Amino acid sequence: MKRFAIASMLFAVAVAASGFLSPGAASAEEIKLVGVITKIEIAGPDATTASATLKDNKTGELVTVIVNDDLTLDKFKDHRIVVGDEIRLKYEVKDGKNISRYFRKTAGC
Amino acid sequence: MNGKAAVLFTAFLMAALALPHGIFAADEDIQKKVDALSKEVQSLQQQVAQPKEGKKSISDWLMIGGDYRFRIDSLRGEVPNYLSFSDYMAWVMGGMVGSPAITPSSTVKNDTLYTNRFGLNITAKVMKDVTFHTRLLMYKEFGSQANDASRGTYFADRIGVFDGTLGHVPSDGGVAVDQVYMTINNIFNQPIWFSIGRRPSTGGIPTHLRQDNEKPGVSGVSGLLVDYAYDGLTLGYAPDIDGLPGAYAKFCYGRGYQHGFHSGQPGEVKNMDMMGFVVVPYDTDPLSIHLQVNHAMDIIDFPTIKDSSLGSLGPTTNLGDIDQFGIVVMSTLKKVGPGTLNMFASGAMDKTHPNDNHPTFNGMPLSNIGLMYTGTKESTTGNAIYLGARYDLPTKTMLGFEYNHGSKNWISFVPAADDMWTSKLGTRGDVYEVYVIQELRKIPIASYRAKTFVRLGYQYYDFEYTGSNNWVGGPVAISDVASNPQMLTPMKNAQDLYATLEVKF
Repeated sequence: MKRFAIASMLFAVAVAASGFLSPGAASAEEIKLVGVITKIEIAGPDATTASATLKDNKTGELVTVIVNDDLTLDKFKDHRIVVGDEIRLKYEVKDGKNISRYFRKTAGC
Repeated sequence: MNGKAAVLFTAFLMAALALPHGIFAADEDIQKKVDALSKEVQSLQQQVAQPKEGKKSISDWLMIGGDYRFRIDSLRGEVPNYLSFSDYMAWVMGGMVGSPAITPSSTVKNDTLYTNRFGLNITAKVMKDVTFHTRLLMYKEFGSQANDASRGTYFADRIGVFDGTLGHVPSDGGVAVDQVYMTINNIFNQPIWFSIGRRPSTGGIPTHLRQDNEKPGVSGVSGLLVDYAYDGLTLGYAPDIDGLPGAYAKFCYGRGYQHGFHSGQPGEVKNMDMMGFVVVPYDTDPLSIHLQVNHAMDIIDFPTIKDSSLGSLGPTTNLGDIDQFGIVVMSTLKKVGPGTLNMFASGAMDKTHPNDNHPTFNGMPLSNIGLMYTGTKESTTGNAIYLGARYDLPTKTMLGFEYNHGSKNWISFVPAADDMWTSKLGTRGDVYEVYVIQELRKIPIASYRAKTFVRLGYQYYDFEYTGSNNWVGGPVAISDVASNPQMLTPMKNAQDLYATLEVKF
């Protein structure tokens, strides 16, 4: 029990350290939103970029972002992320385009 | 002049005072009209929005999926010479004259075990940030409403169906609720979730690979530690950390046995609970690291099984606590040759904390038996490793190999695993498995990820100690079972050649 308590404390400290003490480096231009995907456009299996349109849960506005990271692109390609999924999104505006910086399903379980 | 000036000034002042008032009055009117119009527009928008919400397509909030599997197993195992508990007791009751009878070695087999398994998944987006999910399961043998053909006297997790295995081993053909839970997401507008119900605590990583299932995601547990249908809850947090993509952590709690009304008398069986922490510091396709620590409290001796191979069973006492720690490292590498390579390595250890209680079997107190020991009470430490790989070809052919080893004192909570003989990851010894999966190359219709496939596999168990998946009593080397009485039939080795035809949608 003692060891478990120690291990639990270590985990708690790790979680606290990872989640609260060293959050992701948020740049000033980053915009965050939580919304549902209404559209995904991807050129094909070898595409290196895609666009996703989300409906902001708060404002109801549609926001289209460009997704360039391979991890998310792979999830689009093999349908691990699909239309209807709720996403926690961070993006920044660059040359008039919304570039995704963080794209992750909100759903927990 | 002064008089004229005074009149002019007064007139100017009055005009000046009157003019803004008029302007303001006009502004106020306009403002009122704008406000009224705004309200009207807002009202109209709401009226327009309301029917739109009402007309929402059912597919916007309700998802239905499922699976069906036909499976055939060809089972064969070697039983060594051994001393059975009943023969030992007969010898004792007979005055210990001569030597107790020894059951001779034998080969046991079931050439063709046919089973059907059906699953139905329903997920509803109930309201913003609230979801509901259930999974119903039916698993039966051909031609039977019992599990007589798959139930044995060999391993504790396969002597009958109990709450932790319901729907995961062949049973009576009834549809059981395997999972049912509700989840609240985005708590405090943060990536925090809370979920409660009958949990998705089966089929954890990396066991999903051999099942051709999707990776469980944040609901995942370590398959080497837990594969047990459980009622409980989860509180999770998925922070956004640039250097740690996909990171999350969660606290889990579950109740494995719940006692009824009680009056605090000595000897009453207490609740059996388990809690655990899962930390996934890094979760991407090329690298995923999963850490888990569990603490199981007041482990009961026997689960409730009305119709087991040993008769009607139920908890008679609590034997103590068990701690576990495990790690899973997974990697999926694309374009390795023509295909994709999935690899994993998992390791775990356990430690028992027995109390002074002993189980009672058929009214007989087993006074020298406790949690993972026989004879003198002792705390034991066990460990296990689980290694494997699956290579996915563009032809939708998947080739897999897995190996696992459990030490003498290895104990895990994995009775719901999809193995016929016994849960391979709870084995005290070595298990080898090879399989090939071939998905049909057809366009999915029911859902993006709908699939139909055949799977052909072979498992070989090489047991070193008795008591795989059993925490009652101490392990005995297979070579010593002729001199140590055995409640269950010991097995030296076992094989399972299996084939499935499955559809998932």
